[in-house]
Amino acid sequence: MSRPSNREGGLKAGGLRTEDIEQAEQMLGERMQERALGEQRGAGVRGRRALVTAAWTAPGALWLVFFLLAPVLMIVLVSFWTRTVSGFESVWTLENYEFLFQSNVYWNQLWDSFWHSLVIVAAALVLGFPVAYFLAISVTSLRMQIALFIVALAPFWTSYLIRAVAWIPMMGRQGALNTALEELGLISEPLDILLFSDFAVTVAMLQLYILFMIAPLFFMLAQIDRSSLEAARDLGANSFKTFREVILPQAMPGVVIGSIFVFILTMGEFATVRIIGGGQVASVGTIVQTQVASVQFPQAAASAVFLVVAMFLGVFVLLRFSNLREEL
Amino acid sequence: MGREQALTHHEGAAAAAPSKPSASSGLALRSLTKRFGEDVAAVDDIDLHIEHGEYVVLLGPSGCGKTTTLRMIGGHEEPTSGDIVLDGQTLLGLPPDKRPTTTVFQHFALFPHRTVRENVEFGLKMHGLAKDARREKAQEALEMVGLREMADRKPSALSGGQQQRVALARVLVMEPKALLLDEPLGDLDRLLRLRMRVELRSLQRQTGLMFIHVTHDQEEALSVADRIVVMHEGRIEQVADPYTISTRPENVQVAAFMGDNNIFHGTITSREGERLSLEAEDVEICAIAAQDGLEVGAAAAVSVRAAAVHVDVHDESAKGPNQIACAIEVVEYLGDLVKLHLSAGGKRLLAKVAGERYPEFRGREGSTVLLSWKEEDVQALQS
Repeated sequence: MSRPSNREGGLKAGGLRTEDIEQAEQMLGERMQERALGEQRGAGVRGRRALVTAAWTAPGALWLVFFLLAPVLMIVLVSFWTRTVSGFESVWTLENYEFLFQSNVYWNQLWDSFWHSLVIVAAALVLGFPVAYFLAISVTSLRMQIALFIVALAPFWTSYLIRAVAWIPMMGRQGALNTALEELGLISEPLDILLFSDFAVTVAMLQLYILFMIAPLFFMLAQIDRSSLEAARDLGANSFKTFREVILPQAMPGVVIGSIFVFILTMGEFATVRIIGGGQVASVGTIVQTQVASVQFPQAAASAVFLVVAMFLGVFVLLRFSNLREEL
Repeated sequence: MGREQALTHHEGAAAAAPSKPSASSGLALRSLTKRFGEDVAAVDDIDLHIEHGEYVVLLGPSGCGKTTTLRMIGGHEEPTSGDIVLDGQTLLGLPPDKRPTTTVFQHFALFPHRTVRENVEFGLKMHGLAKDARREKAQEALEMVGLREMADRKPSALSGGQQQRVALARVLVMEPKALLLDEPLGDLDRLLRLRMRVELRSLQRQTGLMFIHVTHDQEEALSVADRIVVMHEGRIEQVADPYTISTRPENVQVAAFMGDNNIFHGTITSREGERLSLEAEDVEICAIAAQDGLEVGAAAAVSVRAAAVHVDVHDESAKGPNQIACAIEVVEYLGDLVKLHLSAGGKRLLAKVAGERYPEFRGREGSTVLLSWKEEDVQALQS
């Protein structure tokens, strides 16, 4: 804390006394806290507290250990084991990785998936930000805000698979979109790109995952004090500068979290790729899935390990854009 | 003085006529109206002129239109009709960033992701000032509000009073033509509020800027203002200096809102020149009033300030005009003064006497006292 004696300036007298009051309040608060602590500080109180904390965190920790940490460790282990006809045996080998390093197909696919995910993240950001902005800032009634947010969540009311499958009658050669475009005379023959193509997979994944971008953006934007936007305008910022200088910096944690969600989810995708890609499109996910299906567990495990490493790299890069610990 | 101020207000009304040249300096509101929806006029045809260097307070209960008026001046709300003219030029149609006004918002509205210094520099940065010049001016402003050492902290690390000062420094650095304050002390606790209002007053004196301050707190208004504009239901009820507002309320709304006024409604029984008597709720009241329209037989209202009444504990019956016997209901001791809550035949009255007299009244609830006042302390009100 600054010492009042250091203070200078035109309002010295006034400032001094307010500062005194504030300091006195603070000291009083601290003293009361100390006393409260002193009364509690019996033997073993601290130990008991630690136990209580441990008890609260135990279920979550156990869950994570059994269902996340252990499986991931298993995958890493299996990736170093030897393949047998019916699965694998615990004989150490680097064969799986040797094979992967020599496989151009795998590396191209990993790079492709990485790149695709980044494109989807960027598209989700560009398309999702206006939606989140509209919901969080343009809509002023809280009731309307919640109602519209629930509507925005509508895709989650049905299963993921149904949403993916629903693309086929919509986007197929004889699908609704092609038929409509033909009827309107905009195209002379059906567009093939709408289904079973890279483009189709990208658009479908964007549609499926954009909400994971909109939701964190919405929550960050909704926290912004509207009067701070008025203050920015008041101090001479036009609407663009207000956006760049006040809104965007405060929304950054949402941008990063949303990007991580979308990146991780699309990077490991295989079901959408299977359904919308119709066997024409592959991803790292489908490669792993194929390897699992052909009982090449150690090979699949090694492929998965690199996928996870690639995801970590992506997350690491994304985290550079915002100091989440401080700003959230 | 009070009459003069009232005249200024009427001149403002005349300025609404298009024939009046608009080259005058200062801020003029002309027939300013704001409607939300069809029927609700938040601000209803107000006229007001404010000079540079003047500290004006818009005072009124919530919903009286004071904040809407301020927001229209700042450009955060578009008037439905009327004009806002600053130094001869209309501000209508200009967005807030193009207006030479800045606002201190009620909840400070600091930018949480920026340091104190960056908050203060923000406006200058938006106006394209170079970094060094910016820094220097921000430093000056921070010193002015006594926050030099806090420059590198985030607003969340400051107390309410310090945040308030940052908000002030942030607008002072802009050297606006008019500084608008929207309930600036509303978020502070009482002790800090009392201190900050003195600081506001002294800042305004130092800078010589036009301050327009919105509040619902009568005491705050009296403490800081050169001139108080009392508003009620979208209209201006009275414009005058604090002393006049306090001692000579023009009408029932002002007298009631300022509080601590005893208001009597009655009928005029006689009039000789400026002296008039009225029969009001079992009391005969004599007053001196120059207003027109106070004819014998007409209904009239008068007010007597709680601080202007004399309380006699040894006398129990009224013997003439401007006297009334009351029962003490509650004795409220406030240190410097004692508030006596009284009742006379169902009518509630209030008297304020010096704190030293508290022993006379302690424990005297239920006993009868005689209230009296001088005729020059009776203020005739327009209804």
